[in-house]
Formats: sequence, C-alpha cells, structure tokens
Amino acid sequence: MHTMEVSHLTRDYGQGKGIFDLSFSIAPGEVFGFLGPNGAGKTTTIRHLMGFLRPRQGSCAIDGMDCWKDAARIQKNLGYIPGEISFFGDMDGWEYLTFLQKYRGMSGRNRMMELIARFEVNPKGKIKKMSKGMKQKIGIVAAFMHDPAILILDEPTSGLDPLMQGRFVELIQEEKAAGKTILMSSHMFEEVERTCDRIGIIRSGKLVALDSASALGAKHRRRYTVTLAAPQEAADFAQAFGGELNRLNPCQVTLTQKQTLEDIFLHYYAEEDRP
Amino acid sequence: MNLTLYRKELKGSWKLLIIFAAILTMYISMIISMYDPEMADALKQFEELMPELMAAVGMVGGQDTLMGFMTSYLYGMILLVFPMVYTIIRANGLVAKYVDQGSMAALLAAPVKRSRVAFTQLMALFTGIVLLVAYSTALEWFVAEGMFPGELELRQLLMVNGGLLCLQLFIGAFCFLCSCSFSETKLSLAFGAGIPVLMYILQMLANMGGKLEQMKYATFFTLFQAEGLAAADEQAFLFAGILLLASLVFSLAGILVFRSKDLHL
Repeated sequence: MHTMEVSHLTRDYGQGKGIFDLSFSIAPGEVFGFLGPNGAGKTTTIRHLMGFLRPRQGSCAIDGMDCWKDAARIQKNLGYIPGEISFFGDMDGWEYLTFLQKYRGMSGRNRMMELIARFEVNPKGKIKKMSKGMKQKIGIVAAFMHDPAILILDEPTSGLDPLMQGRFVELIQEEKAAGKTILMSSHMFEEVERTCDRIGIIRSGKLVALDSASALGAKHRRRYTVTLAAPQEAADFAQAFGGELNRLNPCQVTLTQKQTLEDIFLHYYAEEDRP
Repeated sequence: MNLTLYRKELKGSWKLLIIFAAILTMYISMIISMYDPEMADALKQFEELMPELMAAVGMVGGQDTLMGFMTSYLYGMILLVFPMVYTIIRANGLVAKYVDQGSMAALLAAPVKRSRVAFTQLMALFTGIVLLVAYSTALEWFVAEGMFPGELELRQLLMVNGGLLCLQLFIGAFCFLCSCSFSETKLSLAFGAGIPVLMYILQMLANMGGKLEQMKYATFFTLFQAEGLAAADEQAFLFAGILLLASLVFSLAGILVFRSKDLHL
C-alpha cells in the first residue's frame, strides 16, 4: 500500500489556477521531492493532503485514510512545516513548543530538546521578534518533535542559512534511514538532489515529470557529435573531453553532457513561456 | 474539548476580562450608589434636560425599588454593551484571527478534530461571558447589600441576570458563528460586530418611543426584558428561553461551518 496517494485531484480556482487531475503516490520509506515554479499548485496539493481543503474531484489518502474525513487520525503520525509559518500572537518560543507538545498529548520532550540543540534554536523571547530563520527553525522543531512516520514539508529550509540548510539535509537523511516517508517541496536543488528518491515536477497544476533524480538526468542528456579532420585528432579530442569515438567513423566523436538537476528544473519551469 | 487549548485561550482572555471587569465595577458601584433619593433627583434632572437621550439608553426613571432603579440605569446600556464588546473582540480572536493569520494551521496539524478545536474556542468564549455576568451579579449584590441592606431581592437579581446571561450567550454564539464563517478578520468583524451594534442602535431608537417604537420588532435586544424578568413575567422567561435556544443553534451552526469549510492555511 502506498503511504500517500493523490488520485485525480482537481481544484479549479479559475483563470487556469489550481490543480488539475493530479495523480501520484509515495511509497513507504520514500522521500519525494515536490517541485514546481511559484503558483504551480504545490501548496494547494499539500493543503488537500493536510485535510485543510476538501477535494472537489478526486481524492487523496495517507496510510489508506481519507485526508479530508480522517484528518485528525492521520495527524497523529504526521509532521508538517507550512510554507508560511505563523505563530500565536505573543507566545515565546518555549511557550509555543510546550503548548504544542501538550496540545498533541505528547509526554516526553527528549526529541524536542535534541532538535533545539541541533538547530541551535534559542526559544527564549517573543516569536514575533525573532528572525525569519529562527522562526523557521522553531517550525522545524515543531514538525519533528513528536517523531512522526510521515512528514509533509513545504519549503522547509526557506530562510535558513547554508549551515542550517546542511543540518536540515542531514536530518532528512537520518529520517529517511529510519524509514520515514517524506513529501518535501523545495526550490533548493542541492537539497533535493541529496535527499529525494523521486521527484515530481508540477506546472500550472499538472504533473509534468515524475521520476527518480537520476532517471530525469538521463532523460535530459545532451549529445553532441563532433567531426574532426583526422582520426588521430579525433582520438585526442575524445580523450581530452571524455567523448566516445565512433567505431564506424573514426573521425567522429560523440560527447555526452549530463545536465544538472538545476538545468532540468529550469527546463520544466520555463516551458510555460514557450508556445 | 482540548484542555491545553482551553487554558491557553483563557490565559489570552485574562487581561481583557480584567479591563472589562474594572469598567463594570466602576459603573455598577457608581450607579447603585446613586440610588440615594437625592442622587436619583440628579438623574431625574438629566432626564428632564435630555429625555430622548436618556430614554435611548433605557434610563427612564419612576422606579421606586432598587431593582427597578437598576433595571433602568444598568440594564439599558452598561450591562448590555460592555460584555457585548468583550464578546465581539474575543469571538473574532478565537477563530477568524487564527485562520486569517495562518496560526490555525498549527492547531489543525495535530490529532485534534476541527469540531473539537471549534468547540474548545466556543467554551473559552462562553467562559469569559459567564465570568463577566457572574462577576457583575456578585458585585451588584455586595454593593447593594453594603449600601442599602435589605433593599435588593436576591431572587430578582438572579432572574434578571439569568436573562442577561442568555442574551450575552446569544450574542457570543452569533459572533462565534461569524468568526467560524469568515476566513478574514475584517469580514468576521464586519458581521460579528456590525450586526449586534446595529441591533443595539435599533434598540436605542425603539426606546425613544413614538413611531420609532416599532423598531423593537427588528432587534433581538427586545428579547431581553429586565423588568419582566424581575417581575417573574412569563413572557420575559419565554424570551430568555428563545435567546438560549438560538445561542445553541448558532453555536452548533458555527461548529458545523468550521468543520466543513475550506481553509487556505
């Protein structure tokens, strides 16, 4: 059984906005990168998975439970980082985390303290006055502190400095090793490359690519064939640039250029502008 | 009900409750102390000077018992408006504000059902209202007993304030419904504050008498009849019952609306 299953999910906001007939699924223990340009429908999809929005057509399920009807049951084992974290008026960091801990009915706070130390969170002081990065870190602690089996992370590293982004990637890798199932939207290519098993790219509410990072890379290989004057020149050229000599025509060298994930993203992101 | 959330919301209501309790303390003790016949003359003079204005806020004299005096000078405006303002502010803050700001996401990204979140917020709102009315009742009783021992009949006071509680819970439930229905604070307030205030203005116009008296059929404040309650009048009890029933209906409607609405969190 799939851990997360989105099937034929449609939500039309008019003027081409929304998501349309979106289907994908995430296997247990898989880290799924959910990518796409701004306004493509990532957050709308996540809102359906979280049970904030009722599907108008299609459905989505987590652990076999309907995301709308069984939202509370699903949440027992789910951690969530919203795209835009917002806190309660004048709580300080401690109050907020302690509140959530009790509100969720959790007992221990070991994991919470561990995460606070790992991300160098300073939970003293009003959250309102904290920097964007510190707020984001509090959001990360809140999402992971109950050690959920499923994680839905909407741009989890926005506002974090490179050091903390690195620590976050490590955390994801550890969670992955522990068998957690993760859906993560992100604009950070490196982060996605280092953590995700599979990547889904969404544009204008439709899924335009869905594959493993390496398979996506293979699909977007570029090949150039260079013809040189003499076989010796061709052989030198092939050696220098890591090309492949054509056995049938010793003057021809084929060069393969692998595209980075970033190129692939840009390819899909920018396609919209093309006719 | 989620006790952790309930406690957090009571903590969030505390300051506002103290402020409103202070305002009520000032007015209640001031008005009751005016029951002194000489001071009552002063109020009478006000009435003669500006009869329409005094009538608008329900201050019509001619009552010779302390309870009668209180119904006209306390239950026309002070005990209606101040708890109502508290209710409007809190009702908006308990649901719509969290949805508008996005902090509702934290409450729903937890194994707590939406209906439970809404019910807890409603209980936090109602607790504040009950506390304000209970405090007013106790204060009225002690001030009256302290200044004019034996003048106030406890049974009457309890009946009038029971009715007042029904009215305030009704307003609370209505504001709660507005708070649950709208995802933006400005809309929640436009209806949740706009309609009760409009109703109160209609009540003021109706009080001024003459042709305007017909306005009483357009405002729910008519359902609270302090004098009738004091006199144990059946119709007044019926009206209070209607308010209580309607507050149940609005509460339930609010929870249902919140349970089934789309939230862009």
